[in-house]
Amino acid sequence: MKHYLDLIPISARLHRKQTRMTRLCIVLSVFLITVIFSMADMEMQTQMVQAVKSYGKWHAGFVADEEQGALIAARPEVENIARYGVVNWGLEDGYQIEGIETCICGLDGNLLELFPDVAITEGSFAVKEDEAVLNEAIKSRLNVGVGDTITLSTPQGSMKEYRITGITKDTALEAEHDAFGMLITIEGFDALHTKDTDASQEIIYYVAFRPYCSIPGTIRDITEQLGMKPEEVRQNTKVLALMFQSRDPYMMQFYFVAAVLAVLVAVAGILMITASMNSNIARRTEFFGMMRCLGATGRQVMRYVKKEALGWCRSAIPAGVFAGMVVVWILCGMLRLLSPGLFDGMPVFGISVPGFMAGIVMGIVTVLLAARAPARRAAQVSPLTAVSGNAGTVHAVKRAANTHLFKVDTALGVHHASGSRKNFLLVTGSFAFSIILFLAFSTAIDFMHRAITPLRPQAPDFYAYDAGYANVIPAELCDRLKEYPGIKRVFGRGYAENVVSIDGQENRLTILSYDEQQFKWARKDLLEGNFADAVEGTGVLLAYRDNNPLHVGDRITITADGTEQELPVAGILKDVPFSYGADQNTGSEEVLVICSEELFAGLTGEDGYAVLDIQMEADIEEEEVLEIRKEIEQTCGTNISFSDRRISNREVKGASYSMAVFLYGFLGIIALIAFFNIINCIAMSVSARMREYGAMRAIGMSVRQVVRMVVGETLTYTLSGVALGCVIGLPINRILFRSLVTFRWGDAWELPVWELLVIVAVMLLSVCLAVAGPARQIREMTVVDTIGTQ
Amino acid sequence: MEILKVENLSKTYGKGEVRVEALKNASFSMERGEFGAVVGVSGSGKSTLLNCIGGLDEASAGKVYIGGRDLFAMGENERTIFRRQNIGFIFQSFHLIQELNVEQNIIFPLLLDYRKADQERVEEILEVLGLENRRKHLPGQLSGGQQQRVAIGRALITRPALVLADEPTGNLDSQSSQDVMDLLCKASRHYQQTILMITHNMDLTPSADRVFQVTDGKLNELRSVGE
Repeated sequence: MKHYLDLIPISARLHRKQTRMTRLCIVLSVFLITVIFSMADMEMQTQMVQAVKSYGKWHAGFVADEEQGALIAARPEVENIARYGVVNWGLEDGYQIEGIETCICGLDGNLLELFPDVAITEGSFAVKEDEAVLNEAIKSRLNVGVGDTITLSTPQGSMKEYRITGITKDTALEAEHDAFGMLITIEGFDALHTKDTDASQEIIYYVAFRPYCSIPGTIRDITEQLGMKPEEVRQNTKVLALMFQSRDPYMMQFYFVAAVLAVLVAVAGILMITASMNSNIARRTEFFGMMRCLGATGRQVMRYVKKEALGWCRSAIPAGVFAGMVVVWILCGMLRLLSPGLFDGMPVFGISVPGFMAGIVMGIVTVLLAARAPARRAAQVSPLTAVSGNAGTVHAVKRAANTHLFKVDTALGVHHASGSRKNFLLVTGSFAFSIILFLAFSTAIDFMHRAITPLRPQAPDFYAYDAGYANVIPAELCDRLKEYPGIKRVFGRGYAENVVSIDGQENRLTILSYDEQQFKWARKDLLEGNFADAVEGTGVLLAYRDNNPLHVGDRITITADGTEQELPVAGILKDVPFSYGADQNTGSEEVLVICSEELFAGLTGEDGYAVLDIQMEADIEEEEVLEIRKEIEQTCGTNISFSDRRISNREVKGASYSMAVFLYGFLGIIALIAFFNIINCIAMSVSARMREYGAMRAIGMSVRQVVRMVVGETLTYTLSGVALGCVIGLPINRILFRSLVTFRWGDAWELPVWELLVIVAVMLLSVCLAVAGPARQIREMTVVDTIGTQ
Repeated sequence: MEILKVENLSKTYGKGEVRVEALKNASFSMERGEFGAVVGVSGSGKSTLLNCIGGLDEASAGKVYIGGRDLFAMGENERTIFRRQNIGFIFQSFHLIQELNVEQNIIFPLLLDYRKADQERVEEILEVLGLENRRKHLPGQLSGGQQQRVAIGRALITRPALVLADEPTGNLDSQSSQDVMDLLCKASRHYQQTILMITHNMDLTPSADRVFQVTDGKLNELRSVGE
């Protein structure tokens, strides 16, 4: 031993058990900070994965001529630049392959690098004017492949032949509209003379800038130099925002939330470590007094305490960071599991550098900040304390416990909690802090449920429909399709229009037929009335309209096939989630009637469907989808239209999952803070009073009575914390709910019963665990050693 | 009537080279109303003897009977309840409950039994202890001597068969020490309670009926009743 500070590792070895709680507090704080930052980073990564898939990797697009394009390309900030032009975007201008409207894009080959989702799955990009890359839809429907030739007819009446050099995946939009898409070179695009048609759009120069340059500044510079109008400049807002290169309000709000939460968690961590270190120092007051007795200066004692705290960091910080990373790995695994395909790009065992760094830096800073007060306290211990042995850790008592109201053990427990007003307010405040945080952030969940519409259970992955909404799809096709591999559910809807007289006024009426499954989904939307009558075919359901002329119990007289039929209105549905009618209008004001398939057949004489929805397994093969499509075409004819929504469904699912994992993860962390805080507080309080408990045991208090005393103390803190948390947290919840939700969607605030139940349950569970540890300690306590009799 | 009987009581700490025999085959008994004092130098084993007799510590060998009941034959919980009902403890550092006032501290063993205190008995004890005017005071508001008087009151409230006092005057000035000794004598004579007191102050032994000495864990009786 060469230095007085060398005593630290020796003391640490001997007092490992006593410092365990403090080390655990550091581990927890570092863990929480690492998780918060890693999760924020993970959310940014998932958002980036989705943004790149949906919008591409480009940063800015400029509508420019060749000269301007060359000037842009010459800038040092530009890493990648590619031209893009499109014709027949609306699929109605007469560019057709085999009579089918085709969207034609002219582009430079390197544009595909900026749009990774439009990857070439077979062959390569076109090089010559008369070469083209086709999408999957053309390949599968026209049964053509790389090396074959196709003919494009133009609205000018010319026919152009192209050799197929490659195949690309369908984009979400192409799949949804079942559209043909063809990619050709910019030279080939020019040769089409699209400029002479109304269907043409400008050539856009898509640009990806080099990392670490100021993108907004560069865009502004280019715009000013080339005298471009604002509408001639496009920005990939989401990607830029995720690169911290945008002031997009959503992302700014997101950064703000993460920053506030990180600060709050850091504060909670500082409080937790300070409390634990205070208690640790208080327990060793005699030791510090002894050091002062032997001649250590106050400054030396402070240095001792700080160095000791940093020593704990050596093992606690790596443990906290590692635990945080494991949690993030689990969350990443969950995302990959929940939304396979979309998050495949995310590494399972990746390390979030911001999370990692934040854990280490905040851990050290937190410990140093937390060590300041206890170090000062230790330095102020008078040498007399060591010799007098009067080094109490428990606050001075100002009033006696009330033994009339409770039994003596409970009364002492309550008094231990409430005896010192300052301590009571601090602990209760820290418990309430968790509830307030939980209630405040739970409004973000309400916001998420409304802002990001999750995929409805009835959403089809693929559907076939007749463009004129005629019921041409036979019902028995459903049963046949159900036998196909990769099919989860198949269900159809018949469609009919009618005119009825209500209160002397003619009203247009749309009738949809539901099968059993669709009725099951609709049950939760019933606002009023009787559901069973509609299912059994003795009544109909109406979709809710603001000025609905019909009510439950009213009768509608429908004339079909020359016969009149009276139908009672059995119930009103809040929402009908399917689009209907040729205009796909779901928000129509016309009267919408839902009835059973049997009743629909009776009314219209038709038992087929206008729309056939198919839900598929996630791992269905493309060939299997093609087979299904062929089966439908063979049965219903080639005039049937299709829409493949698998890609967009996956994107919707991915967005809601990643947001849900992020927000619920935050709430979980807040609950964890509450959990650890309660356990920590009680463990510290018990260890500070161990000598007192020993004396009580000597006088004749049983272990059960001591435990009851600890329970009394814990419950006093917890119940007061819950009460204070509710008193402050509920108004905050209400204010946030009103500004985030009511303001935008009009939903009225309701008491967040579930959120309260969850956090109170977490706190009560924490109480049970908080008492279990000390109870074991008390049971194993040796009375003689504890009271320190000679 | 025999209240306390100690038979071949031994206590050993540690094993092998660090094995320490703190108490070696101690045997003696005490009758009702007897006042015994145990003397010995620091580390001689006198506190170990008291802790074993009081059931605070397990003996390595031997038996302790209080009122005819074998203390070590009882389970932990039973022994705790037996202790609070039949043994009164007085410690050198008082060990009062800081959250309870004087009166509550005195009746604490009764409260642990969820019993109501006999108010007459409480008044009597407060009067004997000279604490009538301090009944609502907290321990922190009392002097050392007053605190020790409260501890004596707590030890006497259940009318225990045996009162064990571990250096009851160790933290007190001479006047307070004398007051405490007078109280213990009074308890022994007036209430016929058996008292065993540890002290290293030989000046306090004249008040005792019997004096024991512990040297290196061995117990010898220096003076018996009537000597």
